Amino acid sequence: MDTTMKKLPPKPVDTKKKIQHWTIAIVTVVLIIWSFVGMDFGGIKASAGQIAGAIVAGIFHPDWSYVYNGSGEDLISQLWETICIAFLGTFISAIISLPFAFWAANTRHKKWYTSRSGKVVLAVIRSFPEIVLALMFIKAVGPGSAAGVLALGFHSVGMLAKLFSEAIENLEEGANEAVTAAGGSKFNIIMFATMPNLMPALISNTLYRFDVSIRSASILGLVGAGGIGYPLIIALQYRQWNRVGVILVGIIVMVVVIDWISGWIRKKLV
Amino acid sequence: MAATNQPMIQLKNVGKIYDNGTVGLKDINLNIDKGEFVVVVGLSGAGKSTLLRSINRLQDVSEGDIIIDGKSITSAKGKDLREIRRDIGMIFQSFNLVKRSSVLRNVLTGRVGYYPTWKTTFNLFAKEDKQKAYEALQRVDLADKVYTRADQLSGGQQQRVAIARVLTQNPKIILADEPTASLDPQTSRRVMHDLKMLNEEYGMTVVANLHSVELAKEFGDRVIGVRAGQIVYDGKMSETSQAVFDDIYNGGNGKKGEEDA
Repeated sequence: MDTTMKKLPPKPVDTKKKIQHWTIAIVTVVLIIWSFVGMDFGGIKASAGQIAGAIVAGIFHPDWSYVYNGSGEDLISQLWETICIAFLGTFISAIISLPFAFWAANTRHKKWYTSRSGKVVLAVIRSFPEIVLALMFIKAVGPGSAAGVLALGFHSVGMLAKLFSEAIENLEEGANEAVTAAGGSKFNIIMFATMPNLMPALISNTLYRFDVSIRSASILGLVGAGGIGYPLIIALQYRQWNRVGVILVGIIVMVVVIDWISGWIRKKLV
Repeated sequence: MAATNQPMIQLKNVGKIYDNGTVGLKDINLNIDKGEFVVVVGLSGAGKSTLLRSINRLQDVSEGDIIIDGKSITSAKGKDLREIRRDIGMIFQSFNLVKRSSVLRNVLTGRVGYYPTWKTTFNLFAKEDKQKAYEALQRVDLADKVYTRADQLSGGQQQRVAIARVLTQNPKIILADEPTASLDPQTSRRVMHDLKMLNEEYGMTVVANLHSVELAKEFGDRVIGVRAGQIVYDGKMSETSQAVFDDIYNGGNGKKGEEDA
């Protein structure tokens, strides 16, 4: 028997691939340089350090009198309004998302174009940023939290329905078949088999979306759609750094607490 | 009872070709009378499941006609199809319970075909039906689990809940697709006994796919052997010798059981 092993052959040189890699590398570098040139970066302003320092100082010396003063314009009331906007917006979108999710879910008994068209619609909805939607709804219902709720509710459908439809696609067919075999209609299948199996995913995704909505709701006020964003931008414009500080602290505490609660609930669901 | 001239299940020249070109069934002609207990045996991939799932049209066939108690299921649509299916109960290998629902709700699922959809949506089952479901659970000795969530039961218990579901559905035919394949031998026997009970006491026609030749011999009245999508044997259990089973499983050419196709 021949015991001598063959030597490892040298790596084959693939000129075509080499050229490809180098082209990609060069194009990337050119793009980076180009975007730097196009940005018109005028350097850091002289006042930047001062303002950053003021904000940091504001965070450490917050304007405690603003936390609660019973006027309805204070931090607690504004944060509460933010939470309400996020909650209502998420709740509305969760309900609207369900039919969209069933439309977009790519399950076995469907024509390919049904779910494809559903996915396209969701992608279009998703592509509108909340801020843009908020500006549009402000034109429709006037400034205030209603516009914020509508903007969040509409925008969340894009993401939530996508997550829901993926959850539907991942369900096992078995229970559905059992209902079919017993003579059940399509709606029977949804009510008896799909929905109960889907519940954990629905709740968990909705809570996750609520987390995200809280963050979004905090900035919707910047354009006048209610919530904590409005006093924040006012305080920024009037250079009330202590107030900016207390508002930032408030937002951070709210986000962390909500994050923690929803994470805890989601863990319980699994 | 078996003496009626109308067969309960009638397959006429049934064929099934999957989209990828695989032949699932080829020219199947089969009559099953009321009250029969038929076992279908054959290797994995021979077409047993396809045969069974064609009968209640969980799968569409490519050609031929299937007639259930005088009505063609292959051409039925919508409400007609659902009403034919209402008369055909099914037991699955993986039980197919809704795991997050209570045992009672799972058993009541067997009644959905008898109600308009909106009523079942709001859980408006008649009192008699709930009682019927509870009685079915008593038949399979699971009365104490009626409000338990299905995922807290063992495999054997889940399969018996599935049997109670079928009993509540009160069909004329029961299709059992490998009802014991994921159970241990003792539990398997218990489940087969329950199926036999439905067959003997309620006169339901049973068609069961079985892996186990022993169980087939113990419970079946009639054997149908399937190989490569065709029926290769059809006869009374009492007249079927071991050699026939060997032939069905070894493909008639002495080759020992090929792996799952």
